[in-house]
Amino acid sequence: MIDKAIPAAIGRVVATELKPATPHQFHFWTANATAIGIGAIVKVAGVGTEDEGRVVYGVVTEGFAYSDLATPLHDVVGAEGDPTRATEAPTARQQIRYWTGAVLRQTPEEPLQPVPLGQVYLADDADVAQALRMDGFLYSATPTAIPVGLYTSAGRDSPVYLDADFLLGPEAAHLNISGVSGLATKTSAVEFLLGAIFAHFPAHKGRIAAVCFNVKGPDLCFLDQPGDLSDEDRHRYERLGVPATPFQRVQLYAPLKADGVNLNTLRTHPDLVGDVEPLTWGLQEVVDYAEVLLNRDDIDAKADAFIDFLRDRVLARTFDDGFGTTHRVQTFADLDRFFRSVFDGLEITAGGRSDTWRTHHIATMRKVRNRLLNISTRCKGLVTDDGPSSDLPWNAFEDRTVYVIDIANVDPLGQDLVFARVVSKLREQLERRELGVEAVVVFVDELNKYAPGDGPDTYVKKMLLDISERGRYLGLVLFGAEQFRSQVHRRVVGNAGTQLFGRMDMDELATPGYQVLTPATKSKLATLPIGELMVRHPHFTQPIFVRFPKPPVLRGRDGVERFPPAADVPFEDAVVRQLVRLDRRVRPNQVKDLIAEREQDDVRRALAAVRRTRPDDVLAYFRKVLGARVDAEAGMARERQAVPPLNPISGEPY
Amino acid sequence: MTWWQALVDAGAVAGGSGLGVWDRGETATYDTSIVEDSELQTHPIPPNPQPLIPNPVSFLSGLQRWSVVAYDGVAQIVSAYVAAAVCRRDERGVLHATHERSRAFAVAPIDRMSPALRPLLEQAAPDLESVDGALVDQPARYLEQVESTVRRARAHLERELAEAATAALGTNEWLVLDGRLSRSPAVARHPRAVGVINSHGAQFLEGRGLERALTLPAGYRTSVFAVRGGHTRTEVYSWYLRLWPWEGNDLLYGLLRVEARADRDTVTRASEVSAWLRAERAPLATPATRWDRLLYPLHHVEEYLKARAPRSPAVRSRLPVA
Repeated sequence: MIDKAIPAAIGRVVATELKPATPHQFHFWTANATAIGIGAIVKVAGVGTEDEGRVVYGVVTEGFAYSDLATPLHDVVGAEGDPTRATEAPTARQQIRYWTGAVLRQTPEEPLQPVPLGQVYLADDADVAQALRMDGFLYSATPTAIPVGLYTSAGRDSPVYLDADFLLGPEAAHLNISGVSGLATKTSAVEFLLGAIFAHFPAHKGRIAAVCFNVKGPDLCFLDQPGDLSDEDRHRYERLGVPATPFQRVQLYAPLKADGVNLNTLRTHPDLVGDVEPLTWGLQEVVDYAEVLLNRDDIDAKADAFIDFLRDRVLARTFDDGFGTTHRVQTFADLDRFFRSVFDGLEITAGGRSDTWRTHHIATMRKVRNRLLNISTRCKGLVTDDGPSSDLPWNAFEDRTVYVIDIANVDPLGQDLVFARVVSKLREQLERRELGVEAVVVFVDELNKYAPGDGPDTYVKKMLLDISERGRYLGLVLFGAEQFRSQVHRRVVGNAGTQLFGRMDMDELATPGYQVLTPATKSKLATLPIGELMVRHPHFTQPIFVRFPKPPVLRGRDGVERFPPAADVPFEDAVVRQLVRLDRRVRPNQVKDLIAEREQDDVRRALAAVRRTRPDDVLAYFRKVLGARVDAEAGMARERQAVPPLNPISGEPY
Repeated sequence: MTWWQALVDAGAVAGGSGLGVWDRGETATYDTSIVEDSELQTHPIPPNPQPLIPNPVSFLSGLQRWSVVAYDGVAQIVSAYVAAAVCRRDERGVLHATHERSRAFAVAPIDRMSPALRPLLEQAAPDLESVDGALVDQPARYLEQVESTVRRARAHLERELAEAATAALGTNEWLVLDGRLSRSPAVARHPRAVGVINSHGAQFLEGRGLERALTLPAGYRTSVFAVRGGHTRTEVYSWYLRLWPWEGNDLLYGLLRVEARADRDTVTRASEVSAWLRAERAPLATPATRWDRLLYPLHHVEEYLKARAPRSPAVRSRLPVA
């Protein structure tokens, strides 16, 4: 005989003419002492009624308590005007706990009818799966369930899953998370969710990687280091089937500092800095995204045409400027020399009478020159004059790998450039199916800054819109985070199939985007504890509250305490460190002897060549590149270093 | 200045805007004797802010409903429902029902019913209370007879339940009844049973004693007097207690009559019990119209019974017929 425990009812649906039960909402009462609260999932069964066999799942969205007190004045009279006597009444007034539930699901789904006036039960694991329509993707032959957290209301501990087809495409995609800063919710939630995705991404959907832009301090610099977890968190990981371990494969990229050898990141502790790859780009990479460098006033057909001209006819080609000089522009120094030659040519050869060159007006050329050369000054270390770049492995992204790009200390213009180029390259490579993975999650924090609802249409904003609207077809998935959702571009948040909400500011909750939430839900959102989120997902007809465990990685500020950043090392030591990282056999003294009395630009150039080539014998290759280049092109190298900084007080209007 | 203001200024007590309706249901005069003082006096209730409130305490009240559901000629066939319940108050002050009885029955003048309908009624209504058919031709008086029949049925049910409840009382548990204690000898002799009467149709005092009782200041009680006669031969001790000031209202405002067993101990503890009952003023038993003399726990029992009572047929009869 099967011993099937019958759960005890915790409430009963009631309906009045003023507050009837409808197909989408119902009301029920419970005992005064109840585990029910806002966000709790309940089941209404029409057992013993005319609705026998019908089951309705709902989530509690509002709660009321009142007594039979007709007017507050009666309480005053009863206490004879003395509040201290109000508690002396020997009998407690009759009270009610009265709740409003929003329907999550009805079975059978047709005909859709008002909620039966039946008994109310707490939802168990199976009920939660039914209520949230998770059964379709959780128990199918090819499950696509990604755990997002635990439903913990009413003392339960039920896993809640998102559908990978709706989180990562192709049905829907993208995730947006909002919440006030400083409560360890937005970044932590994304870190946990990335771990869950890596653990549960279905095999039939291929390989997946993540690209995270670290734009604040050390937030994402220690994703490969284990953090402290409580037993409760470990239990939650166990319930969710996600390993409580840091990311196994993390590749961190950071630009160099202005000295060209020290890394511009907070992960410079000697034990960890070896895992950080320099991120440096040259002229070619910058020119391809020159639009990023132009503000709205700059964007016009003339500037576009001239940039296209440079890109198609000048860069990396042998080009005759018409004034007797042949150029081969590969670096910023080459570009500056090219511009000077053209301007001198117009001034001297044409006698200053002509203000156009190859149909381009001199003012347009000066503007584009200033913007391009300005970036090499403002983002020195990211943008280098050392020729070819050190870049992400655009053809060899690895499965279940997090690529962190640390641009926290980069000039905002440089951040825009990095962001634009990385995302554009990801899109290009995904379109060609040459990235190495089938899907990439791009995590962008501070959407308030990159995709504001108002303000100019920047290149970055347009690109974020493009990802939001078309990325899911490519496997390019945007995980965006911001403090004020109402101030992010509507199409960016609107296209996010899954939305997470941490603790929200009351002012933000007063904006129109939150009108669909009840006052009680808003109140809960405004006081949400760390680690709890409200989730909206296409399968969930109502927002659901879940709790996620603390990420198993070292938090940024903890990482900085445990692995204090090393001070910048002298030029020679930085060179040694980079070479030793590539080849443990390299002896520091040998390197120091080799670079003694050499020009630093020559050394940086040779170092960049070694980083790109990754030879078997690092020292020998370094020696060869350093020696050959210095000997053969010494004069030119001296000239190249002389990219003059722009004079901010010059009379030039651009 | 109005003429009555002049009276008030000259020493009369101001009345309220109420009609001062007195209960007419029971108008019997009882044989009483003062047992506490030589004549009826007023005693202040001890101003103890923390009166001794027994714990636990049970409260008993009843409910009656009836309505005419059919006519056999001019003979009115009545559907009646009576119920009573006991709720025990726990240490948190929350009331829980512990005993409950109800009875649904028909009231009809069997001997005046037509041959066609009489057997049908006797078959369909297993619980049938027959009334004298002599008053059928006088509908108003007939309905008074019905009212009396239903009230008796309710009193009987309450008495049965009170006897069951007192038998089940714990060692230190008290029972407060809404109404007279003296209906049941067993209950009337119980040391921890108290009857609280808030309708004052019956007259127990006269002359100076009556005046003192009806003009009792708030927070005072009268001397204890013994009550004999009336519907029961069981003697009980009784006294009046004023919960709220009557000045500006009417003579019965906030006035309770308390019944307890006829024992010297009752006299000794009259002030203590009065302080307890006075403490029961809060919470107010609103929105009941007699909240000034209705104890909230008894009001709660009434509400409980109303919630569990079947829907009144009278409501249905007023629905438009399709």
